[in-house]
Amino acid sequence: MISFLIRQISLTADGREIVRAATMEKPQLILGRAAENDIALPDLALEPDHARIEQVDARTIRVRATGTLGFGLDGRTVRSAEIDVAKGAELRFGGHRITVSQGEDGAAILSIRRIDAVSEASEDKDEARVFSLRGLAPGKRLTAWAMALVILIGFLAIPIWSYANRPTGDSRDIYRVRGDKAWSSGPLSQAHHALEGRCETCHQKAFVSVRDSACQTCHKDVHDHAPATRIAMARAKPGLGGQFLNHVAATFGKPPEGACVDCHREHEGAGPMQPAPQAFCTDCHGTLKDRLKDTKLGNAADFGTSHPQFSPLVQTVPGEHPRFARMSLDARPSDDSGLKFPHDIHLSATGGVAQMARSMKTQTGFGDALACKDCHKPTADGVRFLPVNMERDCQMCHSLAFETIGGTVRRLRHGQPDQVIADLRAYYRSSGPTRPIALGGMARRRPGDYAQGQVYHAYFGAVATRPSRADEAIRAVFSKGGACYDCHTVTPPGANGNADWQVLPVHQPMRYMMNGWFDHAAHRTETCESCHAAPKSHDAKQLLLPGIDSCRTCHGGEKSAADVPSGCAMCHSYHSGDGAPWMPADRSAKRDKVVLPRNIRGE
Amino acid sequence: MATRAPFRARRAKGEVLHDGFLRHARFRWLKVAMLVCLLSIASYMLVDVTPHHNGGSWYGYTMGTVGVLLILWLTLLGLRKRAMTPGRWSLKAWTSAHVYLGLGLIVIATLHTGFQLGWNVHTLAYALMMLVILSGIFGITVYATLPAALSNNRAEMTQGQMLDAVRAIDRQLHDAAQPLPQGQAALVRQSLEQNPFGGHLLNRLSGRYPRCATAKAQAALRHGTGTQSDTGNEPLERIDALLERKQAMLARLRRHLKLKALLEIWLYVHVPATFALLAALTAHIVSVFFYW
Repeated sequence: MISFLIRQISLTADGREIVRAATMEKPQLILGRAAENDIALPDLALEPDHARIEQVDARTIRVRATGTLGFGLDGRTVRSAEIDVAKGAELRFGGHRITVSQGEDGAAILSIRRIDAVSEASEDKDEARVFSLRGLAPGKRLTAWAMALVILIGFLAIPIWSYANRPTGDSRDIYRVRGDKAWSSGPLSQAHHALEGRCETCHQKAFVSVRDSACQTCHKDVHDHAPATRIAMARAKPGLGGQFLNHVAATFGKPPEGACVDCHREHEGAGPMQPAPQAFCTDCHGTLKDRLKDTKLGNAADFGTSHPQFSPLVQTVPGEHPRFARMSLDARPSDDSGLKFPHDIHLSATGGVAQMARSMKTQTGFGDALACKDCHKPTADGVRFLPVNMERDCQMCHSLAFETIGGTVRRLRHGQPDQVIADLRAYYRSSGPTRPIALGGMARRRPGDYAQGQVYHAYFGAVATRPSRADEAIRAVFSKGGACYDCHTVTPPGANGNADWQVLPVHQPMRYMMNGWFDHAAHRTETCESCHAAPKSHDAKQLLLPGIDSCRTCHGGEKSAADVPSGCAMCHSYHSGDGAPWMPADRSAKRDKVVLPRNIRGE
Repeated sequence: MATRAPFRARRAKGEVLHDGFLRHARFRWLKVAMLVCLLSIASYMLVDVTPHHNGGSWYGYTMGTVGVLLILWLTLLGLRKRAMTPGRWSLKAWTSAHVYLGLGLIVIATLHTGFQLGWNVHTLAYALMMLVILSGIFGITVYATLPAALSNNRAEMTQGQMLDAVRAIDRQLHDAAQPLPQGQAALVRQSLEQNPFGGHLLNRLSGRYPRCATAKAQAALRHGTGTQSDTGNEPLERIDALLERKQAMLARLRRHLKLKALLEIWLYVHVPATFALLAALTAHIVSVFFYW
């Protein structure tokens, strides 16, 4: 009889095997989940009627799936299989394994064993592991090593590598790795923007701080402030803290005080570089006299509280060989340019000058009285004023015309006394004057008839003298009441050994403060009179420069509460140049945007 | 009693047994940290650095040195915690100092930067430090708030008991589902086959499992049987009740897992970020002196 031997193997709680054997004397067995089957496997992965196992011949059995699901045969999923019982096979139905083998009597033995747990949860679990995040989150150790390694490579190894392999020339290779860019602590200032990413220009050697020599490769002609020995003498000895800091700095190889980078800090932002703070100057200048006994400079610690009075360069002797001297404004020095000029008469709101200005409004744009701008013209940069020019700034009123010939006005030539004398002699030589010529000064002119180029036929001084000969005319023009004399110092022939009439040369300085910088353009919002007492000045020798007190109404020290806190660098240049002290570009740009003022550039 | 007395005597004065590390010694280290911060802020305001505060001034270097020493000491907690000792220099005292001085580091390091931050290795180190500190703050917060919730949720069950409860329901489900036709049996099998500890990190942290097979199986079975009346004897009714129980048990287990995950997850940031910080700090210091 054909038969199957079925061995159901299960495990006890302590792991012992229990085998229940049964012999089925049937040619065909039904396998499935349903309880009435020959082989009932309580396994939800199986269909109630899952497969048939049939005896084909003495050696062979056939297994075939009845439903839609197959079964496993030696690891493959099949729907039907014939098995040589002698060779044996391993079948897999859901969570059960059936091993086919041959018994001693030739019967097929089906050993059935449950190998999967009833559910996922029922499988063995490592409690410490499944209840923690292990396996869910990337391991701490791995992440730590990975992150540390990435950072060390990216931010340490690559920058050092790119430093070591830097091409000598500027290759402009946009693909070049600039690993050390990540090291930059901040953008460079505007002026040094081109050096961005070229760290080695300043940081020339690794672990050596930036030296002055690096700066001087480009800034070749920067003046030293003073000889190094004098600077060393002038520097105040720092306090205990300062000495300690200097000691630490020296230990770490920083250059001694006074290096370029002490004042000119970099990597502080992409804007313009900031001017050096006051403290860098006052370290020495605050108490300079204590250490440099021979210095002519007064101590200056703060503009608002401790700064010497201004000492402008004034002209003590006018003339062809003028002499100048620096004198404190406290000494009320006079400045003799060689010119005679009363500001008060010209700026008065009443009187002849004002009257005349009114009469010339349409031609010249004067107001109801003359203003500073009518005669003083600023330089192109607005910093200071051009010397007053007779032809441009005076002649509209003070005409030197003396005759009209066929519509052409003849004028005495300003600045050339020889030519004046020659012109007058020529005038008398050619023909006798039909009318007396105009040679008078300006003092007695009548308003209304003085537009430039008009011959004035009132003949004031000239009529009075009625020169009929050249010599007399020449004398009249150079003497009191004549056109030259009112403004100029005239020496007659014979005096000082002159052969002829001499006019003292006029020298109008454009700059008085030779070591400080004053920018008129920056003060456009002020009126001229708020600083220069011109309306009260009756003599051109009066120096109309304001003193430091006047400045201090707005300006104070760097840290003061004044309207305009002003460090030394606002007016003074450390590197002793002639130009303006260095100032951030944005500040000057802002300055240029100020609305044109009412009283300097009026046109 | 006699055996416990000497141990009690060894405890430092003023220390109470149930004091946490936050309240240790009446907030001694909180006070120390506050003092350090106030001193730092005051000196930052008093010291005149030109043109403005930055890490490269003498004040900046000083704060930087203090900061890096503090960071190294804070990192040492990882070694120190492996040796528990009582007393003044107890691990609790050390942890307390770790927390408060670590918080103080925010002030010290920020003043060291002079508020100059950018896209560079220096700010990278600062950002990593802040990441470490913020993850630490998160850790302290969950340590202070979550254990109570964890205890409430457990309802006196141990983790093993929770797992055993799920297993018991699974066995009953397995037996009850035997008579079912294949389609319905497959649904039940899905619930059995799903690992209750599965899901992604986000599922674990949020406690939401939109792909829960148990919930799906129950919904699908109810969809098919919703119109039938209860007889009280249908295998499907029994299975529905079992799935209901399993869902409740899973919810408890998942809440437990969520709270435990929150208690753990910050360390997965705190520790690796610390080592990243040490690397960035090395790069920061070397780069400063390299281009000096």
